[in-house]
Amino acid sequence: MSLIAEDIRVRFGRRDALGGVSLTARPGEVTAIVGPNGSGKSTLLGALAGTLPFSGRVRLNGRAIGAMKPWELAAERAVLPQSCQLAFPFTVIEVVRIGLQAGTAGDRAEVPMQALARVGLAHCADRPFQDLSGGEAQRVMLARVLAQVWNPVQDGRPRWLLLDEPVSSLDIAHQLQVMEIARDFARAGGGVVTVMHDLNLTALFCDRVAVLAGGRRLALGRPGDVLCDEILSRAYGCTMRVSAPPLGGVPYVLPHSACL
Amino acid sequence: MAVMTEIGAPPRDRLSRARALHWALAAALVLAGLVSLEIGAADVRFSTILARLARGEALGQMERIVLFDIRLPRLALGILVGAALAVSGATMQGLFRNPLADPGIVGVGAGAGLGAILAIVLGAFLPVWAVALAGNQLVPVAAFLGGWGSTLLLYRVSTRRGQTSVATMLLAGIALGALAGALSGILVYLADDRQLRDLTFWGLGSLAGASWAKVMAAGPLIVIAMVAAMTLGRGLNALALGEATAAQVGVDVQRMKSVAILAVAAATGAAVAVSGGIGFIGMVVPHLLRIASGPDHRALLPNAALLGAILLVLADVVARLVIAPAELPIGIVTAVMGAPVFLWILLRRRGITIA
Ligand SMILES: Nc1ncnc2c1ncn2[C@@H]1O[C@H](COP(=O)(O)OP(=O)(O)OP(=O)(O)O)[C@@H](O)[C@H]1O
Ligand SMILES: [Mg+2]
Repeated sequence: MSLIAEDIRVRFGRRDALGGVSLTARPGEVTAIVGPNGSGKSTLLGALAGTLPFSGRVRLNGRAIGAMKPWELAAERAVLPQSCQLAFPFTVIEVVRIGLQAGTAGDRAEVPMQALARVGLAHCADRPFQDLSGGEAQRVMLARVLAQVWNPVQDGRPRWLLLDEPVSSLDIAHQLQVMEIARDFARAGGGVVTVMHDLNLTALFCDRVAVLAGGRRLALGRPGDVLCDEILSRAYGCTMRVSAPPLGGVPYVLPHSACL
Repeated sequence: MAVMTEIGAPPRDRLSRARALHWALAAALVLAGLVSLEIGAADVRFSTILARLARGEALGQMERIVLFDIRLPRLALGILVGAALAVSGATMQGLFRNPLADPGIVGVGAGAGLGAILAIVLGAFLPVWAVALAGNQLVPVAAFLGGWGSTLLLYRVSTRRGQTSVATMLLAGIALGALAGALSGILVYLADDRQLRDLTFWGLGSLAGASWAKVMAAGPLIVIAMVAAMTLGRGLNALALGEATAAQVGVDVQRMKSVAILAVAAATGAAVAVSGGIGFIGMVVPHLLRIASGPDHRALLPNAALLGAILLVLADVVARLVIAPAELPIGIVTAVMGAPVFLWILLRRRGITIA
């Protein structure tokens, strides 16, 4: 009952976006994917979600995703895209309800409102989605994703959140709120894979980190082991100094101590 | 966190309201139908006929012909064509994720027209058994194939990675329309006199030639397309968030796109085959409905069928009235009503980026 990717390769035209990446994410844990722009994070997430053509193997809760129908996949995992445009003037609550399309949250009518409340936007339910600010829109999309897999465990099987930069447009309070949502989902037995740029939030909230660079995996492990000077400097191509508080606290990185 | 206190009044339910609109529109369609039966070139009034039937009197020959062979098939054709145009408009807009898509504007109508003209002109060269087999379905099916080809081509040209470019779509539509128009022009030179009469009649964009034969020719294709389109509501809603997201929430996107393209082509093709090019219904009707009751396709598609039928039946009444006893081609009436709405939509969208 894990999300296992083996030797994932993705080509766009003549360029290799991913050159053989493996990753195992376990339920109960938040797994982060970090790396520089264009390193293949979104591409890897797309392969895990089954939305991109790739070579290699991805198994979701023991089944090869290639053999699953779109609605079977949708019942076991939900995906937050990095960005999203809405074509018609739906209201916020209507957008969240789109998440119920195939999920086994099924036709429980109260789930969308609860999901909106979870991201702190229940008071915006009737507003046109297209009027929202960037951060509000991002949180509504998260609510839609939560509504799709509302129960972290269903019929004894863990469900999965695949999030692509879920906090990229958020203020600091909502960054914490969203990371807590992800962690709570994992603690309740679900699995979370999230693409991150903020290394400190990653260190604070994630159980495992995969570092990508140039379409390859540089490292995979616990944040305390992976987030170190050597690996980060290699990944991002600039000298990075990771600081660790005494007594095995959570490591942190300040831009002050990095130089190009 | 004050999460629980935040849930106050339940959210507005636009879907139920939009579904309640089905009944209002159905009633309006009945009224429009009665008006259409009442009014016409001949001095035969449906109300008088009803009154005479109520008194138990028999109908005269003239009344019977006007009612059953002229006005009723015309009403039936108006309903079919109006519903077909509006639903294919709504479906196409959902598919292209853009409220400006309309089979008439983006060249699908022209493609269907080319198919129909091909069938009319080259039908003479087909072996007799083929014509007999196709029967009165020949022209509608050819128009459907023409519309299908142009929809597929248009979709391929204007959509990359699941995102449709409006500019490319409209420009490709112009090119397609011009090409289909030019090919149709060549075919017109090849036509003999009888075919030419057929073509002119058909090209006017009119319900004037309505007959039960035409209703039977277009009806089956249109009804099948409607039924298919009505299954697309949920999928098109999800598609509003993009192809990738639609797939992620469980829609079989590839299948849905194929069904949508076939439905658009069948409905447009059949409508064009029997009534020529009638514009703007497909764009105006869904637009009005989105303003009135929201963009949810589960209610939008059936409502579009009803409102499209209403508007086309009324436009036909106007076409028969303004220069009576002659009549205007209905395409002119819908253009006069629809073109300003199109401009108004563009005006309102100005400033908003249409990427
Ligand atoms: N649809 C596509 N067609 C062609 N190339 C693509 C496509 N999607 C991504 N790429 C390329 O693949 C590489 C990896 O892209 P990806 O989106 O996975 O990067 P990322 O790590 O998510 O970056 P970011 O931090 O900017 O989101 C990039 O070089 C990008 O240009
Ligand atoms: Mg990315």
